[in-house]
Amino acid sequence: MADRIFAGVLFLVAIGYTIIAFTVIRAPFQYDPLGPESWPRILGIVSIPCILFILAKPDVASLGLPAKTWSRLAALVVMLLAYAYMFQPLGFILATFAFCVALSLMLGARLLPALAFSAGIGVVGYFLCTKLLDLNLPAGVLTIFR
Amino acid sequence: MDAVFSGLASGFEVALDPFNLFLVLAGCFAGTLIGALPGIGPINGVAILLPIAYGLGFKPESAIILLAGIYYGAEYGGRISSILLNVPGDAGAVMTTLDGNPMARNGEAGKALSLSAVASFVGGTFAVVLMSFFGPALASYAIHFSPSDYVALMVFAFASLASLVGSNPVKTLLAAVIGLMLASIGIDANTGVARYTFGIPDILAGIDFLVVVIGLFGMAELIHLVEQQAAGTLKTLKIDKSFVTMKDLAFVKWTILRGSVIGFFIGILPGTGASVASAVAYGAEKRAARDSSKFGEGDMRGLAAPEAANNASAGGAMVPMLTLGIPGSGTTAILLGALLLFNVTPGPLMFSQRPEIAWGLIASMYIGNVALLIINLPLVGLFARMLTIPQQFLTPLIAVLAFIGVYSVVSNPHDLYMITLLGVFGWFLRKLQFSLAPVILGFVLGGLFEDNLRRALSISGGDWTILVTSFNSIILYGLALLVVVVPIVLGRRRRSRSEEDSPQAPA
Repeated sequence: MADRIFAGVLFLVAIGYTIIAFTVIRAPFQYDPLGPESWPRILGIVSIPCILFILAKPDVASLGLPAKTWSRLAALVVMLLAYAYMFQPLGFILATFAFCVALSLMLGARLLPALAFSAGIGVVGYFLCTKLLDLNLPAGVLTIFR
Repeated sequence: MDAVFSGLASGFEVALDPFNLFLVLAGCFAGTLIGALPGIGPINGVAILLPIAYGLGFKPESAIILLAGIYYGAEYGGRISSILLNVPGDAGAVMTTLDGNPMARNGEAGKALSLSAVASFVGGTFAVVLMSFFGPALASYAIHFSPSDYVALMVFAFASLASLVGSNPVKTLLAAVIGLMLASIGIDANTGVARYTFGIPDILAGIDFLVVVIGLFGMAELIHLVEQQAAGTLKTLKIDKSFVTMKDLAFVKWTILRGSVIGFFIGILPGTGASVASAVAYGAEKRAARDSSKFGEGDMRGLAAPEAANNASAGGAMVPMLTLGIPGSGTTAILLGALLLFNVTPGPLMFSQRPEIAWGLIASMYIGNVALLIINLPLVGLFARMLTIPQQFLTPLIAVLAFIGVYSVVSNPHDLYMITLLGVFGWFLRKLQFSLAPVILGFVLGGLFEDNLRRALSISGGDWTILVTSFNSIILYGLALLVVVVPIVLGRRRRSRSEEDSPQAPA
């Protein structure tokens, strides 16, 4: 069933992809026999039978994850999106600190080690990357470190 | 022949430059550390560290030497978690656990680790030596390839991918097509027409290669780790004082050699990397052994064969990557993408146009192999300590490294969302038994495939028969057919005889 649902979604995407290839993509003028639309058309036409085959003969019945795991994964994705959202405005140090505390606590770390670890990663990581390796990381609200 | 030696000489000149030498060693060390982390294999390691290596702003040959060192090191490091934890870092290391972990449980952990280090060294060195002779020869042959031959080569690559990688050929093919589709997003270079951008400015130039790699291999791995929820520290076996002896080595010398040969040639096949090589080598060794009853319970041959094969295939996979521009495995696909980031196009011309990169890389692999053997024998205890990093801290660290990597290269917060979404997508693919390596191969080869097809048809003025007119392309289509048909026939015969179940190549 899991296979079918995923293949069904892929099928819709592939159909959309192919329709766009056949209708929307068009070069205003071109000299070559194959324009920008031919390659996506070929890909679309190859992908659809593959997906139909999976729909007909799925081999993964279910993902077999308990509800608890699903909620943990959902929480992880929310944390990642929040981390991505905060990354630039808040700056690397604070965003990383918050993210690491949240994730390590969820994974079962005790509070004090989690705080120490997260602060370490945030501060040491920032200076290691920006000062030693010369990489670009956002300073965010802590503008004094810029 | 002379060209090989003069090439090697110039290569060593590049690789022995103090800075590059330092990078080889640093890469090997970092790679072993990353590879030793439970659950993280070479492909994830290279993926996570690639953008950071790119962001450092080294010269292309230095950066690629660093990345190759990480790749090699991770192949070495992967065996540590396989043997001591019974947790393979990636599909290529699964076979190592079969006999390596029982050996460690029988109180021969030190012996298992040192033996596998030697086997890895022989396999890796064997592959590099063959590569120094094969590579230039193949490159000078491939220089005459026309665009239509490249199309045939690509078809062969995807055919062998679909037939040899993963459990379900249709899913592997679809995964490759998904990669190709992802690559088709963005402005078409020939006509300037935007494809599938839906007016979003961030993807006008296409989805960045780094974003795809980090998303599919870094973030998907992270989600997988959280799904497994290994809280606390995994229980590792102690490293004891046992050590490999000359007698042991004499016992397995043919095993190692056979494994190396098998690994190298399977590695050369486009798309099939360490996982297939180690599975085939293990199976062959088990069948060749007069007394195979100890396999699976700690037979030294069962440890040496896959370890030699998987390091030999790491070298073998470099051959098509450097000479044809067609990567031989998922990880070399990432290295190929890395070269493209530096505006270096791997292919037959690289040996003549950018010899410092081609030969520098090869020479660095000689050095890397020796360095890995040296740092792996005494320092294995230090690397094994990586296994005891608590999972609840390791997991956030991977996310932070991925974010640093992506942000430091493009500095576009939009990419941070992209890697998260691609990670979720990659995790679903993985859960549904698609392999991820074909996706990245498709993504890397997408542009090349399309360009060559269009160029071929431009030459012929739209006549599709150009694709099957040259001798090279007919041979390649024949090989493609062979690679699809032979496993099916063999599978039938094996089923009809219903012999002992041979080890399946994991996806």
